[in-house]
Amino acid sequence: MVRHLYVHIPFCPKVCPYCSFYKEASDRNKTQAFLDAILLEADQSGEGLRPETIFFGGGTPTALSTLQLDFLISGLRARLDFSELREFTIEMNPATVSREKAAALLERGVNRVSMGVQSWDDALLKTLGRVHSASQARRSYHILREAGCRNVNLDLIFGVPGQSVALWRESLLRTLELAPDHISAYCLTYEEDTEYFERFRSGEFVPEEARDAEFFEVTMDVLSAAGFEQYEISNHAKPGRECLHNLAYWNGADYAGFGPSAFSTQAGLRRRNIADTAEYIRRIQGGLARHDFEESVPDGLRASEVVAFGLRTKQGISPEGIDPKVVSALTANGYLEASPDRLKLTRKGKLVADAVAAELL
Amino acid sequence: MAIKNTRNFCIIAHIDHGKTTLSDRLLEFTGTIQKREAQEQLLDAMDLERERGITIKAHPIAMEYTAKNGHHYRLNLSDTPGHVDFSYEVSRSLAACEGALLIIDAAQGVEAQTVANVHLAEKQGLKLIPVINKIDLPNADVETAKKQLEDILAIPAEEAILASAKAGIGIESILEAIVERIPPPSGKSDAKLQALTFDSTFDTYRGVVIYTRIVQGTIRAGDPVKLMATNTSYDVKEVGVFKPQQPKFFVREKLQAGDIGYVIANIKTSSEVKVGDTLTGARNPAESPLPGFQVVQPMVFSGIYPINTADFEKLKAAMGKLQLNDAAFHYMAESSVALGFGFRCGFLGLLHMEIIIERLRREFDMDIIATYPSVIYEVLRTNGELLKVDNPEQLPDFSLIEEIREPMVICYIMIPNEYISPLMQLIMDKRGEIKHTESLDTKRVMLTTELPLNEILVDFVDKMKSITRGYGSMDYEHGEYRPNKLVKLDILVNGEPVDAFSSIVHRDKAESRGRALALKLKEVIPTQLYQVAIQAAIGGKIVARESVSAMRKNVTAKCYGGDITRKRKLLEKQKEGKKRMKAFGTVNIPQEAFIEVLKTG
Repeated sequence: MVRHLYVHIPFCPKVCPYCSFYKEASDRNKTQAFLDAILLEADQSGEGLRPETIFFGGGTPTALSTLQLDFLISGLRARLDFSELREFTIEMNPATVSREKAAALLERGVNRVSMGVQSWDDALLKTLGRVHSASQARRSYHILREAGCRNVNLDLIFGVPGQSVALWRESLLRTLELAPDHISAYCLTYEEDTEYFERFRSGEFVPEEARDAEFFEVTMDVLSAAGFEQYEISNHAKPGRECLHNLAYWNGADYAGFGPSAFSTQAGLRRRNIADTAEYIRRIQGGLARHDFEESVPDGLRASEVVAFGLRTKQGISPEGIDPKVVSALTANGYLEASPDRLKLTRKGKLVADAVAAELL
Repeated sequence: MAIKNTRNFCIIAHIDHGKTTLSDRLLEFTGTIQKREAQEQLLDAMDLERERGITIKAHPIAMEYTAKNGHHYRLNLSDTPGHVDFSYEVSRSLAACEGALLIIDAAQGVEAQTVANVHLAEKQGLKLIPVINKIDLPNADVETAKKQLEDILAIPAEEAILASAKAGIGIESILEAIVERIPPPSGKSDAKLQALTFDSTFDTYRGVVIYTRIVQGTIRAGDPVKLMATNTSYDVKEVGVFKPQQPKFFVREKLQAGDIGYVIANIKTSSEVKVGDTLTGARNPAESPLPGFQVVQPMVFSGIYPINTADFEKLKAAMGKLQLNDAAFHYMAESSVALGFGFRCGFLGLLHMEIIIERLRREFDMDIIATYPSVIYEVLRTNGELLKVDNPEQLPDFSLIEEIREPMVICYIMIPNEYISPLMQLIMDKRGEIKHTESLDTKRVMLTTELPLNEILVDFVDKMKSITRGYGSMDYEHGEYRPNKLVKLDILVNGEPVDAFSSIVHRDKAESRGRALALKLKEVIPTQLYQVAIQAAIGGKIVARESVSAMRKNVTAKCYGGDITRKRKLLEKQKEGKKRMKAFGTVNIPQEAFIEVLKTG
């Protein structure tokens, strides 16, 4: 039984220059066909799927109208067994939140909203190419709360060219004033096929390792002092507010993914739907194979993925099968905290989690 | 063909002065080949050589020519490797001839390599025919070229033939001069066999093919013969001469005094055939071998190690194959604390080393590390014992050393006048001494300098080229051994000496080199989880230290469902990258570090 469902909504009002997720500018003519295709995919692959968590990500799911979102959620509910659904998250862009949309979503069963605030500084938002302003984000947050949303995550980004550590601390404090349930704080990475990557490659953007480390440390300090627990490297939550959907990925659970570019991992097979909306629709309509990537994930591989991802979580990983010499070197240098049954990253280790994972693999 | 109608010659030229084009024209004019199809530069066999514009080995070619005097001649053209690394081979090729064409580019004038090779040819008593080539170029300066012939090489200018191989000018005059000026060979065909083996090649189907000059006597298929230096006997299977196109083996009934051709005698490995050895009859041997034979000694040594220790056997097989074709390349197994099992390799010189390393990488697809090259030092111990040391690891404790002597070279450097002072600075930096300065013409000078071989091993040529914006040229001859203040410089990584980074250097330069190396290593060793301390030490005393601080941040932000594969691949890539590094305790040193150390002169 597959317990987790991801639905990818590839539309954006405007494309951000650092984002590498599959998306395209909204096209009203294609939207209905896209929604139909998602439901067709649910018909074709919904068997054995009884979601405990659903995550609408993008793109910008709220680029869809209230009516379209209503159509999509009702359609899924008619096809899938929602009886054990515990968490239903939708990503929202602060510029696309309205009272009406928020109320409708909550009424349809959405119980968690993840809002891409990124920063509270308008100049930085401009650098990031975001369509919203800081005041708009604040307004949207209050709309969500007033509509009755009791579980809100705010996404923030650091390590942006031009961002100082002081400005970042300020952003964190302003976020805390709003008392969200969950904060995702990401370090900007230069992903291939983005405008930022080109600017990084041309030397315009220079990564600063020491400064990025400082951002990380400030984040940990400020958020832990405010009662947030860092349950994963980039994710901080109030007790009981961890994102179950993401935990499922990190713990190596099976999941289904609908929509263009969405990944699924089921029964040792990982596949990706084709990352092209028109082609995705055509293939779904024709009942054709819709994947453009497929790999088998046998147990051994899955276990090493669990090491790499589990290491990032507060539970850490089991020391089983890991070279004790490597562990003791990492422990002696303060990167790992080892108990007989668990290996966890220390605060220092979290900053170099990838290098530590590479040692452990 | 009567011996008086045979002429044996070779061509001496600087790179790009037109040796190959001229050879082609001679072959065409004599009807040995038809006008070339598109295939350029047939003589240069190996890609690598073609890329570098140098020829290492090409087989000798027999041509037929009817001269203006109405007589019919056989002209044997032998190739000579142009570079001094192969000077012994060059001397043997020259010894197979009675004359040589000396090509000088009308626009470039005499170059350093030409001087070195002319010295060699004169030592062999060859008749030189100067050819001023490329006279059709707009910037050709025939008068200056003539003056240089007289001033630098002491060859009468009126002997020069003006030619353009490219435009086909002067080809017949050259052929006539070969016939008229080069003396015929003088040996007797009925004397006891003495054949000079001046080169050899390895053919997968036929084994070793000896390139030979019959000095006296006659050789036929079926003859029992022996090589005098190694005292091993064989039965001759086939003799003949080479033609430029396929099939290149042109079988003859016999080769006799004065002939140049090939001998195939069921010889399995090229190391059995020493260049310069004498082939004689096994039953009726000559009283003495031909003069001038030497066992070629490698001049430059380097350790070559597989990056991946599991590739040792593969590397060994590759080296074996290389040696089949190149008897001058030496290798023997050795082990290094830092690098594991590998080979100590001996080369004739820098170019030879570069070629072998490049061939291992390209033709055999080997991932290898080459250690800092070394010359052979003579080490006099306090107890009077004299050691030969080609690896810093073999040096005895310094308290037991009376003196260390290093090999010197005489280096000819030709440069445009305006670069004299930076070049003199370079020579001083390299502990050289200028023996002689000579104006070649109004624009160029030739510096005759004496330098330690060790100092020109790594970056001297590159620096000279860069100072002179590519206009300088140089060549060298090996000189004597001379005592000097030499010390061993060690590099320690996290307190442990990495033997592969050790070198023997002059005391006055040891500290600055130590500092430069430590700094370079700091740049090329990537930050890792653990801090890396790099130290340079002379005789246990630390003279420089640097450190690569531990990495501060190495973590990707988002890790969602779709990212799992990508993230895992990133980690796999990281792991793969680590595999390509050498691990020293907790420190990983990338391949690049070894290469950079090589470059830090």
